[in-house]
Amino acid sequence: MAGNGQRGLRLRGPGRRRSARAGIRWLAAAGALAVLTAACGAVTQPGQPTRPGPASGRANALTETGSSLLYPLMRTWAAGYAKQAAGLTVTTASTSSGAGIAAASAGTADIGASDAYLSSGDVVKKPALRNIPLAVSAQTVVYNLPGISAADHVRLDGAVLAGIYDGSITRWDDPAISAINPHLTLPAIKIVPVHRYDSSGDTFLFTSYLSTQDAGWNGKVGYGTIVSWPTPAGALQEKGSLDMLHACAAHPGCVAYNGISYLAQARAGGLGEAELGNAAGQYSLPDAATIQAAIGSFVSLTPASETISMIDGPAAAGYPIVNYEYAVVSVKQPDAATASAIRAFLRWVITGGNQASYVDAVGFQPLPATLVTLGQQQIQEIGA
Amino acid sequence: MTAVTAGHRPGGHARPAGAAGQQASAGPARPRRDRPALATPARLRVLLAGLVLLSLAWGGFGGWVASVHSSAADQLVAADERLSLDAQMMYQAIADADATMTAALLTSSQPSLKPLQRYQRDMVTAATALSRLRAGDGGHGADASLTALSGGLPEYAGDIAQARTEYAMGYPLTGGSFVQVASEEAHTVLLPAASAVFTRENDARQAASSQATGLPLMIAALAVAIVTGYVLLRAQQWLTRRTNRVLSPGLVLASLLLVISVIWLAAGFLAARSDLDGGIAHGSGPEQNLALASIGVQQIRGDAVLNVISRSGSASFADDFQATSKQVGPGPGSWLSAAAGAQRSGGSGAAAVAAAEREAAAWYTANQGVYSLGSKAAYAAEQQLVVGTSAAGTAAGYNALEADLSRAIAADQAAFESAASAGAHVLDPLAGVVIAASILMAAGCAWAVTRRLAEYR
Repeated sequence: MAGNGQRGLRLRGPGRRRSARAGIRWLAAAGALAVLTAACGAVTQPGQPTRPGPASGRANALTETGSSLLYPLMRTWAAGYAKQAAGLTVTTASTSSGAGIAAASAGTADIGASDAYLSSGDVVKKPALRNIPLAVSAQTVVYNLPGISAADHVRLDGAVLAGIYDGSITRWDDPAISAINPHLTLPAIKIVPVHRYDSSGDTFLFTSYLSTQDAGWNGKVGYGTIVSWPTPAGALQEKGSLDMLHACAAHPGCVAYNGISYLAQARAGGLGEAELGNAAGQYSLPDAATIQAAIGSFVSLTPASETISMIDGPAAAGYPIVNYEYAVVSVKQPDAATASAIRAFLRWVITGGNQASYVDAVGFQPLPATLVTLGQQQIQEIGA
Repeated sequence: MTAVTAGHRPGGHARPAGAAGQQASAGPARPRRDRPALATPARLRVLLAGLVLLSLAWGGFGGWVASVHSSAADQLVAADERLSLDAQMMYQAIADADATMTAALLTSSQPSLKPLQRYQRDMVTAATALSRLRAGDGGHGADASLTALSGGLPEYAGDIAQARTEYAMGYPLTGGSFVQVASEEAHTVLLPAASAVFTRENDARQAASSQATGLPLMIAALAVAIVTGYVLLRAQQWLTRRTNRVLSPGLVLASLLLVISVIWLAAGFLAARSDLDGGIAHGSGPEQNLALASIGVQQIRGDAVLNVISRSGSASFADDFQATSKQVGPGPGSWLSAAAGAQRSGGSGAAAVAAAEREAAAWYTANQGVYSLGSKAAYAAEQQLVVGTSAAGTAAGYNALEADLSRAIAADQAAFESAASAGAHVLDPLAGVVIAASILMAAGCAWAVTRRLAEYR
């Protein structure tokens, strides 16, 4: 599916991203990223299955795979829960939201992690699946702009980003970008847009933002975990959040989207972080205040299935790309012990696991109380 | 009747002792000989009681059988057929409401009046049909499904209302997620429940149909009639042997009444059965196939709309589309072809079914394009093809096909009601005729035997 929109793009393998033009700056960035990656521990290679065969069904060994955005937090949850529940291990893997949903649907993982709620197709095809919010996240747009300091944030909005990704805006000094960044002198270099080509919740969130703010994008491309990307010259496509960062760090002029949980790594790699424009025309960075403001108007609207889009909401002080991070689970587990273990783990995640000691490290926000209640109700449905 | 104590039969012939008398003196080894023999008046009284009871038994059983068939036919025409149609209408209305409103909101955040009116009409139709189904639920086991529908319809309408509010306020993605929640409610709760109700009502209709036209009870009634006739014949012969009268007028009258009532019952039943069978073959049967075809069309349409809002590029309904379109037809063994084959030539139903077959083929071709675009994540083009109002879109073909199916269903429904009502009317008086005849038979028998008894006094 993604291949349709990939002809003409430069497909790059992980070992071919080195660019001669990146020079010393890249080496420094790559070194920082390597240190951070190592600090976060080994990550399952994109595309590598979480484990062969069906879910173990062993109550003392749960498996999780999916969203690379959620992965850093999921791993700390797994470690934290292991201390709470002796003898129970949760094996986590960073793949993609689409892979997480597919694994939970097929029963090859006990829990799938996704930045996007289940599609209607998934729900109708697999009525036993539930999406349960685990935390509140946000998406960042990062860039590699030599000469722009980390303290200066380039302002971008949905219309400009749509222009960048559809190829109608090709340079950073384009008047459309300069118009919303009067405080900055933007370099006259080519823009290198990077997108995910795997089935990605990040792509769902990002293209949703573009669709709400740019009617042309909505009419031509739309939004989804996979979309038919336009193919401007020089655009890159990557798989997984880390590869997005690597690619952006390696290409001056790059712009990419990624989950807030990778923001520290992006900063360490020398990437800048954009202020994004919301529906009220206000620009902001994703922090506790702007994320909480953004979700405030949606909490009471969240239905029992907890399926809701919070992109570009009405809060004037809100950050425009916020979302719930979902656990995708089946309410029909192979045995009662596994069901009980999943229930216990998820209950802990949405309560104890939402403490600041866990979520602050990755820039997430804890679930509002209403969502905890709704989550408890959905978790209670998990059985054998 | 063989062990006889010789008695004097007034006006009759002396009965020779004969072999029976000789057998009576043959010895104590045979138990029957130990029983005290009845005198003739006593035997006449037994005969009187037996004939009266047998006549009334015939009337009771024959009347009950006629009543069972008549009630089943009335139930079929007045209740089961309509409830089955209501169930199909409810499914159609819910599916159409969901497809209509989803398409309208995907097209514009401020839907035009036309789709809004259609949505509201559908919801009213669904609620009305549900109300009738609840009232008519006579222990068909559909309670759980009806309860799910009763609770789910307002919830669905609430989600749609919230979606409209979000769209109107300028938050299409939030509105879209409420449309998604509503559609999921429709596809995972409401439509499966409506389908279950349709299946159950259809089963009930077929059971009533079988009961109205079934042969076993009628054969049993005829067997009772034959036994009654035989007993009347033997009674006539017995009385003839004991009197100098060849025929007993009362028994002759009873026999004639039996023959008349049996012929009336059998002829009436066969005529009604013929009407009902005709109504089922050319009305109810094809109507059922058309209802299934309509549900299949709704599933294809609903899946196409769901595929648009799924937005994942991974949820493929293409396989379901291929399978369902084959079931709907036209084609060998398909619902549409079965319905077409059962139509009376030249009828309005035949024309509508033929039109539906033509529309279906063209519509499938358009739907193939939907899944082709969906598999390429070309959402905008896919959406335009599914919800757009152009002649090339799938919405136009869907509307035309559904209109054809609705016309054909209405024509077949009318054909069934006409034939089945005629059959039910034929069955209506049968029970009364048989019961009245049996009472007269009993009176005739009583008159015949009491006259003989009176001669002993």
